[in-house]
Amino acid sequence: MRMASWLARRVGAAAFLLWVVATVIFIAIRMIPGDPAEAIMGGPGSQASAEALETAREQYHLNEPILVQYVLYLGQLITGDLGTSYAQQRPVAQIMAEMLPATLQLTLISLAIAWLIAFLMAAIAARSSRLGQAMGTVIEVVAAAVPHFWLGAMLIIIFSTWLGWLPAVDTGTVQGIILPALTLAIPLAGFLAQLMRDSLVTAMSSPFALAARARGASEGQVFFRHGFRHAALPALNLTGWAVATSISGAVVVEEVFARPGLGRSLLGAVLSRDMPMVTGIALFSALIYMVVMLLVEAVEAIINPAAARGHDV
Amino acid sequence: MPKLSSHLKILATAVIGGLALAGCGNTDSADGEATGEPQSGGTLTYASGDAEPDCLDPHYGGNYPQGLIATQYLETLFTKDEDGETIPWLADTSEVSDDGLTHTISVTDGITFHDGTPLTSEAIKANIEHLQDPETASSTGFLAVEKVEEIEIVDELTADLHLSAPDNALEESLSMHWTAIQSPEALDRDVQENCADPVGTGPFMVDSWEREQQINLVRNDDYVLPVESDRENAQAYLEGITWRMIPEAATRYAALQSGEVDVIDNAQPDTIQSAEDANIGHLDAPRPGASNRLELNSSQAPFDDAAVREAFMRSVDVDGGIEALYFDTAPRSHSLLSSVEPLGYSDDSLFSQDVEQANELLDEAGWTERDDDDVRMKDGERLEIVMPVSTNQSVPAEQSLFEQFQAQASEVGFDMQINLLDLSSWYAELSEHNYDLVSAPYTKVGPSVLRILYHSDSIEPAPSGYFANNAQVDIPELDETLVQAEETTDEDERAELYEQAQQTVLEGYYVLPLYDQQNHFLYSAEVQNMGETSAIAAPEYYNVWLDQ
Amino acid sequence: MSRTARIFAGLFVGLIFIAALFPSLLAPGDPLAVNPSEAFQTPSLQHPFGTDESGRDVYTRVVHGTADSLTIGLAATALGMGIAILLGVMTAFGPRWIDSMILRLLEVLYAIPALLMALLIIAFTGPGTTPAIIAVGLSTAPGYSRLIRTHLRTLVNSEMFDAATVLGHSRWHKIRNHLIPNTLSTLLALITLGIGQAVIWASALSFLGLGTPPPAPEWGAMLANGRTYLHFAWWLTVFPGAAIVTIAAGATLLGRTATRSRI
Repeated sequence: MRMASWLARRVGAAAFLLWVVATVIFIAIRMIPGDPAEAIMGGPGSQASAEALETAREQYHLNEPILVQYVLYLGQLITGDLGTSYAQQRPVAQIMAEMLPATLQLTLISLAIAWLIAFLMAAIAARSSRLGQAMGTVIEVVAAAVPHFWLGAMLIIIFSTWLGWLPAVDTGTVQGIILPALTLAIPLAGFLAQLMRDSLVTAMSSPFALAARARGASEGQVFFRHGFRHAALPALNLTGWAVATSISGAVVVEEVFARPGLGRSLLGAVLSRDMPMVTGIALFSALIYMVVMLLVEAVEAIINPAAARGHDV
Repeated sequence: MPKLSSHLKILATAVIGGLALAGCGNTDSADGEATGEPQSGGTLTYASGDAEPDCLDPHYGGNYPQGLIATQYLETLFTKDEDGETIPWLADTSEVSDDGLTHTISVTDGITFHDGTPLTSEAIKANIEHLQDPETASSTGFLAVEKVEEIEIVDELTADLHLSAPDNALEESLSMHWTAIQSPEALDRDVQENCADPVGTGPFMVDSWEREQQINLVRNDDYVLPVESDRENAQAYLEGITWRMIPEAATRYAALQSGEVDVIDNAQPDTIQSAEDANIGHLDAPRPGASNRLELNSSQAPFDDAAVREAFMRSVDVDGGIEALYFDTAPRSHSLLSSVEPLGYSDDSLFSQDVEQANELLDEAGWTERDDDDVRMKDGERLEIVMPVSTNQSVPAEQSLFEQFQAQASEVGFDMQINLLDLSSWYAELSEHNYDLVSAPYTKVGPSVLRILYHSDSIEPAPSGYFANNAQVDIPELDETLVQAEETTDEDERAELYEQAQQTVLEGYYVLPLYDQQNHFLYSAEVQNMGETSAIAAPEYYNVWLDQ
Repeated sequence: MSRTARIFAGLFVGLIFIAALFPSLLAPGDPLAVNPSEAFQTPSLQHPFGTDESGRDVYTRVVHGTADSLTIGLAATALGMGIAILLGVMTAFGPRWIDSMILRLLEVLYAIPALLMALLIIAFTGPGTTPAIIAVGLSTAPGYSRLIRTHLRTLVNSEMFDAATVLGHSRWHKIRNHLIPNTLSTLLALITLGIGQAVIWASALSFLGLGTPPPAPEWGAMLANGRTYLHFAWWLTVFPGAAIVTIAAGATLLGRTATRSRI
């Protein structure tokens, strides 16, 4: 029963969130100076024809009072109608359905790689000498500070041009995703590792860890029962952020590696001011984020029941 | 007086047996010429740095990337031979009435579109009307056939084009792929449907379009070459072309080096230079029409004063910048027209750097005061110039060149601002006249591009909102010269009038020519017989084969 | 942190401040002066970091770019952190309904990826430095805020905190001795990470052609610009890149020094 009400609350919260995002975008488009029909059709530079503008006015009910527009717009969204991309002249939902798998694949693989690297780095660093820790810090900081586009270009030069091991552009094969995924994962891993290690070092030298050692627990037990839990929590909490960051990063990575996906569609949509596409992608990334956060909360509840109980929102 | 007749077609046939089909760029393949007998088979992967076209039908809008790909599946009524002469292609004959108001064009018999529709005079009518239909939203093609008032079908293969005024550039206009001939039945479909799957007569056909990923072209097995040739089999050697978009220049080049793609466009100058050592071929095919140039907006201060325009041009070091940034891949131009245009006129005396003279000119023009930033002032106004730059239309080297101009112009007291914009915002800035100088590429076959760019009518925005006369040159005598040049039936007079027009614009310091519109292609050693280009300098792959 | 490390950290901060406030002391040249005939020179005694495609001295540009880059990093982080601390503290200590409300608000901000947020803002303001700062600041705020909130919550609920209660310490004592130092260490680590991140996101905008306009020697813009010539002119990206990493690393180490000395 608790599970059901928890789920109901989460779904309610998700609907609320989507509503706010949709509303903000609705207002934003109408705040762009000039004709909102023109704004939807790509701004004054797009040279939309009078007919196209009229179609847009009709489609978005721009001739109606603003409140009516708003209600109709929400009505369309509820039925899953995200409108038509003016640049591609196809339903936004259809385009996103095509682009989503590639981006999801990229971000999920990157996320997994990033977690793996971060955890290994944190674990090694937490148990190594001062010098080792210092080196670990440098590696993490450098990794976190490398811009995606530069890292991607370097990986291409090393692994594609010099060594010839991996393709430079997406070829639809397994090899094709390695470089883009690494490009996205490395900075994220550096970031996560820093956070995990800070907590790990603190946790491993904390009174309760000392107490556990005093009780005769092995170093490994202390590490997994106390250290890992405390190290994982702040980083786990960042998973939602990590997903959002990966989607941001995907804009750059998909551009560098010429991979199709939501990121590249988004950039194209923003550059051509394709507002239906922008709206669709914004709502969609919000949705992805919420699904991820649901999963995170579930995992969080498993790792640290006390914290989850304390603020059951 | 017939201008073009069928004897030219025989001339074209003579060329076919060799290498050149239409125009021909300069190739310096590291691998030398074809190494043996052409082999059939294989799919060529092409990687473009351009934005993915919105529409594969080049009638719609009409930009260069559309022309590049449409060259593979659509054909034009006319084309250019390697000497730059206009010759018939899908057309069989072409005659002009004495008053210049009627062009009689017949099409070659026995050609069918990819959908099985035979090519007849109906196609001429349907295509020109399609270009003129506002629904099509054509811009480049629309302007090219602007003067055609009515198309009258004479017989199955012949049509009369009745013009509102004589137009000696009509055949040149009809050699561009923005006016390519498509199946009339296919044109009847919905605009978007035609965009996704245009139907032509070319050696390749559109098979499928995976948006934001690739466009798949397959060989047209029923292809008929409209001119005679000694090719045993009229089909293209390649089974197909995979047309990909790889926007990042470094990635594109890396993909070529590692063999993932066979041909790339928009090659960076530095990679062109290093291509030779890497056993990579290079095709340099400057685009026809206008040269790549800076246009100075003469309609508003400070560039409404010719002396200030000249001062700006004298203050910048174009040659030094090109040498450093283009690695000898882009020769300096001193002409309004592309180097492939036979009627281009050059004057290098006008554009040499002379900082001292620039300062003198500004002093004389009254810009004598200086503010705290050392920017010149006159009557309380700062000497500010704004340059919107479209990041979609300029390679990094070009943006760096503009940055150098910015630094050099500031030495004599200009405050030059560069605004990097996406294409849509860039158009908006132009249409609102928020610019003092701008680089706007314009490709058209033949010198009549001069009328589009410098006739005062082009200051008025077209229905689409775009106006081509960005320098806002407004000289009645020049207008008259440009109109005459387009209407005369005398070749010598035409050349003379165009030279006169170019002199007027150059000597008025409206335009600073930089170099040809760059159009460099790199290709791997397997690609053989690369080098033939269409009238708009787009590479053709009909005779290309892969040495696998 | 050893004494030597602190001295190094101090020197580093001093150097950064001189570079940001008085760049001409370190590099007397003009960062904008072009010289096409000296383009693409490899690093040498005359040009320690080489020259770029327009013959500008990369060393001079990196030094003079400190102020621009640091301003982006600091301003964006200050904006994000300011919002985050306010909201984080309100959620952790305020009444439950404020907590829920702010959480919802944060999720809205959070759910829109940083670069999308930046692109959306740029759609209104046009490209440039200020929108980049606002976008990066706004989009990093919810991350900080959530982390602060979780940290505070975890601490309140942690065994350590319970232990302190058992030992009979007062509430203020708990806050002073456990909460503040612990939160501060996380915050400092975050701030220092954030500065670097802000500069990096700004450089991503430059890569997409929407960042700091030319010819400003902002590091992200230099990095984005130099990538074109990556395969033969490594110095164009390595030095501004190293500058970004140095700032991020230096700030992180400083953060650590500060937290360690408090605990």
